[in-house]
Amino acid sequence: MLFTNNCNPAQLRHGARGTIVSRACLLCLLFAYGLTGFAAVPQPPQRGEDLLLTDNQGGRYGGTLVVAQRTEPKSLNPVTAADAPSREVIGRLMADLIHINRVSQQTEPALAKSWSMSKDGRTFTIRLRHGLRFSDGQPFDADDVVFSFQLYLDEKIHSPQRDLLIIGGKPIEVKKLDQYTVRFTLAQPYAAAERLFDSLAIMPRHLLARPYQEGKFVQAWTLASSPDEIAGMGPFRMKSYVPGQKLVLERNPYYWKMDQNKNRLPYLDELVFLSVGNEDAQMLRFVAGDTDIISRVGAENYALLSREASSRGTELFDLGPSLEYNFLVFNLNDLKSKNLDRLAAKQAWFQELKFRQAVSAAIDREGIVKLVYAGRGAPLWGNVSPSNKYWVDQSLPHPPRSVETARRLLREAGFSWRPDGQLLDRSGQPVEFSIVTSSSNAQRMKMATIIQDDLSNLGMNVHVVPLEFRALIDRVFQTYDYEASIMGLGGGDADPNPEMNVWLSTGSTHIWHLGESKPATDWESQIDQLMQKQMLALKYSERKHLYDQVQEIIGANLPCIFLATPDILIGAKKSLANFKPAVLEPNTLWNVEGLYFAQEIQASALSR
Amino acid sequence: MKGKRKLVIAAVFLVSLHVAILCAGFVAPYSPTVQNRDFAFAPPTRIHLVDSRGSWHWRPFVYDWEPRPNAIYEYEESRSGRRPVHFFVRGAEYTVAGIFSSNLHLFGVDAPAQLFLVGTDNYGRDQFSRVLYGGQISVAAGLLATLTSLLLGLLIGCVSGFYGGWVDESAMRCVEIFLVLPWLYLLLAVRAFLPLHITPVHAFLLLVGVIGTIGWARPARLVRGIVLSVKTRKYVIASRGFGASDTYILRRHILPETYGVLLTQAALLVPQYIVAEVALSYFGLGLSEPLPSWGNLLASLQQYNVLVSCWWMFAPALALVLISFGYHEVANAFHEQLQSGST
Amino acid sequence: MRYLMRRSFHGVLLLVAVSVLCFLFSDLAPGSFLDEMKLNPQISPQTSTALRAQYGLDQPLAVRYLRWVESVTHGEWGYSFAYNLPVSSLLPIRARNTLALTLAATVLAWAIAIPLGIWSAYRNGRWEDRFTMGATSFLLSVPELVFAIGLLFLAVRTHALPAGGMQSLDAERFGLWQKTVDLGRHLAVPVTALVLASLPILVRHVRASMIEVLDMPFISAARGCGIGEAKLLLTYAFPAAANPLISLFGLSVAGLLSGSLLVEAITGWPGLGPLLLEAAMSRDLYIVIGIVMLSTIFTIAGTLLADVMLVVADPRVRAE
Repeated sequence: MLFTNNCNPAQLRHGARGTIVSRACLLCLLFAYGLTGFAAVPQPPQRGEDLLLTDNQGGRYGGTLVVAQRTEPKSLNPVTAADAPSREVIGRLMADLIHINRVSQQTEPALAKSWSMSKDGRTFTIRLRHGLRFSDGQPFDADDVVFSFQLYLDEKIHSPQRDLLIIGGKPIEVKKLDQYTVRFTLAQPYAAAERLFDSLAIMPRHLLARPYQEGKFVQAWTLASSPDEIAGMGPFRMKSYVPGQKLVLERNPYYWKMDQNKNRLPYLDELVFLSVGNEDAQMLRFVAGDTDIISRVGAENYALLSREASSRGTELFDLGPSLEYNFLVFNLNDLKSKNLDRLAAKQAWFQELKFRQAVSAAIDREGIVKLVYAGRGAPLWGNVSPSNKYWVDQSLPHPPRSVETARRLLREAGFSWRPDGQLLDRSGQPVEFSIVTSSSNAQRMKMATIIQDDLSNLGMNVHVVPLEFRALIDRVFQTYDYEASIMGLGGGDADPNPEMNVWLSTGSTHIWHLGESKPATDWESQIDQLMQKQMLALKYSERKHLYDQVQEIIGANLPCIFLATPDILIGAKKSLANFKPAVLEPNTLWNVEGLYFAQEIQASALSR
Repeated sequence: MKGKRKLVIAAVFLVSLHVAILCAGFVAPYSPTVQNRDFAFAPPTRIHLVDSRGSWHWRPFVYDWEPRPNAIYEYEESRSGRRPVHFFVRGAEYTVAGIFSSNLHLFGVDAPAQLFLVGTDNYGRDQFSRVLYGGQISVAAGLLATLTSLLLGLLIGCVSGFYGGWVDESAMRCVEIFLVLPWLYLLLAVRAFLPLHITPVHAFLLLVGVIGTIGWARPARLVRGIVLSVKTRKYVIASRGFGASDTYILRRHILPETYGVLLTQAALLVPQYIVAEVALSYFGLGLSEPLPSWGNLLASLQQYNVLVSCWWMFAPALALVLISFGYHEVANAFHEQLQSGST
Repeated sequence: MRYLMRRSFHGVLLLVAVSVLCFLFSDLAPGSFLDEMKLNPQISPQTSTALRAQYGLDQPLAVRYLRWVESVTHGEWGYSFAYNLPVSSLLPIRARNTLALTLAATVLAWAIAIPLGIWSAYRNGRWEDRFTMGATSFLLSVPELVFAIGLLFLAVRTHALPAGGMQSLDAERFGLWQKTVDLGRHLAVPVTALVLASLPILVRHVRASMIEVLDMPFISAARGCGIGEAKLLLTYAFPAAANPLISLFGLSVAGLLSGSLLVEAITGWPGLGPLLLEAAMSRDLYIVIGIVMLSTIFTIAGTLLADVMLVVADPRVRAE
């Protein structure tokens, strides 16, 4: 009963020939399924297979882990899939060359056994593990690596990850040196080059070469593909998909990691992704025991869950502040080409540094953490969250909230007050503006309401304008027709390099002033130079020093007024052993190969 | 005259509700936008007549809420001081119907004590005040939108049913289009064309306009069905035989038959439209913070933790039940009057 | 027969008109499918632009529409940007799931509303009637979403019913009977939410219509002839009161595919609802149009059914 009545591939492929072929495949699969039994059994290690010894131990085989997702995955194609649920699933099916350990935030070997960087930082030589196999049993070697990078760099496929591999304006060059060695050449030295390889999945040439040559790669590995067309080096392989309901993965019998007792990982038989809807529905499923893990819970729900945690056999984790940062940004774009004169008048206020400093001084960040995150969060005065221990500038000032300071700054900038308390600018215009934010993000809407109230203490008349998400993006990135906005960024990697485009003046996510061909202000050109330098510098201490300076410049000039960040709140069943949630994504499943169920009850699932 | 008595009772009930809402400034102890950030999601203040020592006081009093340490949204009464409730106190300024302003409130407690009759919301704003103020916009918008929908529906349904033929066909196809279209895109487009900040007056008119225009399809079909049936009745044909014009027949014979359906629809649509504002606010077309409306007050109930732990947030639903029950009784009694008048 | 042919022809015209309007509206709405990439600092605008061209999003409206029509003739109904699959492969299973839910809810709602409305009208003015009207007022005042979440919460608290979804996790291994029971248990919460939301409207209309009819002279006459109350209500009064109910029934049929959107999203029922909501929010245009087309077909069928039934049930109506 793999997938016959749920997602029949025969119906989904075109052409009669396809139907006959797929029916034959179906029969073979059923036969094979009958042979292997219910779960895919881990294969005994072969001679010459270079398995990675992990520090997992004491695990027992068996069990099904059920995880909820807010929306269902859309595609299993690692090169084209861009949405988060798809990437979460793909991350369990595939493996990368060098992996970032989500807890230590440092790189560690994965499919690459070892690597070396040339002195000038431009050449990477990677030595692969020998004797590994894909989840369908076919061998893995350097041809697959070269092929995978060819797919990522292909100019006709337009992978969202292609831009990661363009360093110094030129794409990375990939060359096979021998069956297990590959050399990567970059156009300029890049300090965090190792980190690039994380999440770049290595794909099977034997399955994908033909679709690629036929130009049909983008249609490969969709949800309609049958499981035998999909193979990867990850801990699990695709088993079945029920539209709108669940995606079931089963153990990869050829996975290349083993535990301390030389048992091949993963311990779990199956991993099920349930598509559940919204956060409230996720809560209900977890409370009912349908799912074993709940991640990114809201704080009030967290409080509800912790009250009943012990009686339900669940455990809750507060991992501290996340890496994301929420901020208030004012529209500082160059509006000459657009027809937005009324906005241009207001920009005179926004461009005044003391105005932004006054707004920042008047905002009650503690109140935001209390009311929006129920106390489980941290206030922010910079773009680096306090939990980013390697990169946060500890000496950055955290001025407390002070309405008097704000009023003083406004007075110095030439603002004055009417008898009824309304703030007026130099020319006597009342200060009135609107903050747009996404209507589907309740936290940012709440922040906007709090800020509206805070700024009314300064006599500013602020309107909160909720907009549908894409309408918001259209205004902020396309038409520039907005005055202020509350947005959130970050959360990807701890390293500053992925955020280059936010702080570089020519960057595509330089939100407050997009489309700059050259830096509009001195401090922006300073940031440009510092960011470029830290990208080229190879030593951590040097990069940290440069990035500290960037944080200080940002703090002094306030292009964004940083607000707060939520804590990462996670819940899981107590019977799930080896569970080590991390601040980096994927918070809960990054070590899924080492997870197992410690209770007797779960192991007996195998005997059903 | 029992029917007339029922109508009067129902009307008095409804009118008193409306007066309370209209004079929200007087009846409510606080302004609806004042945030008390230390008292988020506080439960309703308990009113006592007997104090902790067992002695009776004629004047009701309250105790302060104190947040429980190390817990969020949990409070306990502090027995430290009795705060008596005073009537006809001076408080925050307000205006009634934009004309006449005052600062007299029906009841209140001396600062710094707070009297939250129906608890507070996420920002510590008094729910009782917000429900009263919110009623002003919601009831008015609901009524006007219902009126718009019904008028449009009546017009199109009558014309369509009465004239038949291609008029009927095209009108009904229009109804079908209205039922089927993805309003989402159109609403987004409407929002995009509007200025960033919509003043409350404009937001109100927009609400009425949008809801009223989308909602005429169902009344139209219902009315058309009735008209189709009535227009072939003997007395209508007889009327025609006597030389009655179309408008006369529509007005005199057909219209009265539709009252039943229209009144039922009216009583149904008012609460539905008030609640529909929740959906509109996702597109940015609802009333924006910090102004309250029953729609955006009820929206917070969609969160699991609020639904489960903060029962007082159902207050706007209770108010809505009272209003819709009142309207239903009035519509019912009115309908009976019409019927008894016509037989 | 001629009438049916004419209506079918109108139906096809309507489908074309709706498809054109859909395209127009979607063009008016701000934002496009690839907007989310704009927020990602790691994707360059060049990739974004190239993907736009690949998806054909930079073409003028007319070209996109004609391409879509061509795709319809091939049976694909356009391609989903997110899934990279033809829309025609995504919809059937979801539509089947939605229909299972809405058919059950509609049948149940009508089965409860008609007896309840008749009885309430019969007991007009007495406490049974008051209570029913009070209950319907309450049901109308609470948003549908709150019902859904509230019911789910109760189900979870009492461990009586599943917390959402359509099948249990290991449903594949069940026998036919167990599967049916499992499906029934999963249907309970969403069906109840839908029934609670639609019941007040139906009950009120049945009641209002019956009250009007019960006041009519022919009922008193029939009573005078000695006809029993039950027979009076069911065979004399109810058919005369049926006119607005038939129109409502037609509207019920018309809303079979679209009425359960929010409830499906909350309870995780894998129907068209979550698919449509997500596609509309992410501007995955061809899925939205495909679902709207399906809904249009149901709407056409529903109004046609209602019009035919009006003629059949009420001899006072003559079709032109």
